[in-house]
Amino acid sequence: MLKNIKAEKLNPSVKAITILIAAILIALQYITLLNIIIFVSSIMILLLFSDAKLKQLISILIPALMAAFGIFLMGLYYAKNNTGITTSLSNFANEPYAVRAALSTNFNSAVALATRLLAYSGLGIFFALTTDGEEFVASLIHQCGMSPKFAYGIIAAVNMLPQMVSENKTVKLAYKIRGIKVSFFSSRVLFTMLVNSIRASESLALAMESKGFTGNKDRTYYSITKIHWYDILFSCALLGGIILGMIFLQ
Amino acid sequence: MNALSVSNLSFRYYKNGKRNIVDNLSLSVEAGSVTVILGKSGCGKSTFAALAAGLYPENGGFLSSGEIEIFGNSIKSMSHKDRAKYLSIMFQNPDLQFCMDTLRKEIIFCLENIAVPPDKMDDIIIKVSSHLGMSKLLDRKLSSLSGGEKQKASLCCLTAINSKCIILDEALANIDNDSAKKIITILAEYKNSGGTVIAVEHRPELWRDIADRYVVMGEGCKILEENISSSDFENFRDILAANGIYGTYTGKNTSHCENSENAISIQNFSFKYDNENKYLLKNACADFKKSRITAILGKSGIGKTTTFLCILKQHKFDGTIEIFGENIDDIRENDLFKDVGIVFQNPENQFVTQKVEDEIKASIKNPEFLSATKLLEEYNLKQFAQYSPYMLSQGQQRRLAVFSMIAGNQKILLLDEPTYGQDLQSTENIMRLLNNKVEQDGLTVIFITHDEELADKWADDIFKIEDGKFIKC
Repeated sequence: MLKNIKAEKLNPSVKAITILIAAILIALQYITLLNIIIFVSSIMILLLFSDAKLKQLISILIPALMAAFGIFLMGLYYAKNNTGITTSLSNFANEPYAVRAALSTNFNSAVALATRLLAYSGLGIFFALTTDGEEFVASLIHQCGMSPKFAYGIIAAVNMLPQMVSENKTVKLAYKIRGIKVSFFSSRVLFTMLVNSIRASESLALAMESKGFTGNKDRTYYSITKIHWYDILFSCALLGGIILGMIFLQ
Repeated sequence: MNALSVSNLSFRYYKNGKRNIVDNLSLSVEAGSVTVILGKSGCGKSTFAALAAGLYPENGGFLSSGEIEIFGNSIKSMSHKDRAKYLSIMFQNPDLQFCMDTLRKEIIFCLENIAVPPDKMDDIIIKVSSHLGMSKLLDRKLSSLSGGEKQKASLCCLTAINSKCIILDEALANIDNDSAKKIITILAEYKNSGGTVIAVEHRPELWRDIADRYVVMGEGCKILEENISSSDFENFRDILAANGIYGTYTGKNTSHCENSENAISIQNFSFKYDNENKYLLKNACADFKKSRITAILGKSGIGKTTTFLCILKQHKFDGTIEIFGENIDDIRENDLFKDVGIVFQNPENQFVTQKVEDEIKASIKNPEFLSATKLLEEYNLKQFAQYSPYMLSQGQQRRLAVFSMIAGNQKILLLDEPTYGQDLQSTENIMRLLNNKVEQDGLTVIFITHDEELADKWADDIFKIEDGKFIKC
């Protein structure tokens, strides 16, 4: 039974909107404990109720933790309204600036800011690792009324990415062979790629059109994403939980 | 009944342009027939194909006169959806045809476009994919398929749509003979079940068994001959050859001196394709002789292009590659590129400037000896000197790519399908130019091709890649 509960089954649009609202709610509060709860439970749900790979999870978590640590240090050193320094400033006059600053700043707000970033990253990772791009776009068509022209444009562009990466290598090689130096983000290479991608998008559009694609809504769909009771439950649980936390953990 | 009927069609890309790409063309194609359209590269055949499919002028260009009817209906009055049911098109570049990442999803996308009920889709997918022998590849990433497989995948989509007429815009140009023949066999069945095929082609011999008629077009899609049948094809050989459209390659007169030293020597050479565990080449060995022309043959996806990338130190490999006796591990990239040049499959990736003239200039390292204008004259591209390279036709682009590489005076030139999408005459021109360079300057040429006759006539040595090895023919 438990095995059948998968975060992947949630409707991507509902998930996206819920997480967006949750992010706004998180921005309105400074409760460290609530932030930590959100972060930890996002990770727990990912580990227990999704097909996300641990390796993937860790590779995203590391930069997130580093960013959180950075925010923590920033909050610690450069917080406004820092109190408690006036009395003892003279005692520390010989200490380096960093130490004086560290001792004088607002530890609490630094922790609150850092954990808030963790809460954001928890929700973000949760969404990213449990959502299939194409399903998300499909759900944008069905639940949010996005036009198929736009939606399939996005899908085609995403599917073109691997090709563009290999093309980038080729174009760079072409320059190097002619003895022209190019850097990582060379504007010359970008220019060639830009011309090529305009051409590519034109050809692709023609190919799609010749296969009957109109961009209008007069098409059928192999599978239609729907909103189920568990999507509503997820929404209520997440948002309700955060609101309750904001009230009772204050 | 006519599947396609075109009358007095004139089309140009710019309203104020001087010349019509398609000039006063009238042509009709009977339903249930196979028509092969031949013509020089850059004569407007591809533009005609796009016009017939209704893609132009809707997506660009200016139609000054003419009327197109498919199956008796004016093309203007039809929506894309209806049009696709009558007529769909298979393009030259297999990489730019798919919207989705797997064949299954792509077929679903096509079926959704023409509003097939969802519960019928699975049956259609099974039917068309097993019919074309693509069942196993349904869920593979399309980007990992070879050129031939991609074109078959594309054909799968068109058969799923069940269009009454299929136009092939040089769709078989860049795939090996075996794959091309398989696709033609499938098209023969399609014809037997009542389908109409219009093929824009450079290799008429591939179509001998199923073509009902050949149409020969000249500049501006002017019809030179329109009723050549497969049986009297031989009688028209001279006309085709005279127009540089089709014939046998003349080839070079003498083979180049033997026993010269190795330009490139490859030993115990193995490599994998990106992220895959299977070795494409395994312990392969080959010597490419200096000042000779060597051809590399082999099926698509077998590792020909990657071999070139290895020689240029752009792909990981095991074993040793020596260039003029020096291990490439010991040569700095910059120095390597002074000796070895490459012309890519897609010339558009190769241009480094925005003007044809500058493109040649960019390669000339010693301007005292060579003048770009003179070279352009020699190459028959002078009239385009001020054009952007991207405005040239694909055949012209390929020539320019080859020329600008030759102007660089490297000692070894690698060419990846230098003649793909070219008519007979352009192909011969390119090969003759390379041959002259070999004779005069001692250039070493190694080229990849699918065209065995071309290799026979122009190469001194031929290697075939098979079972992960170079086999000398």
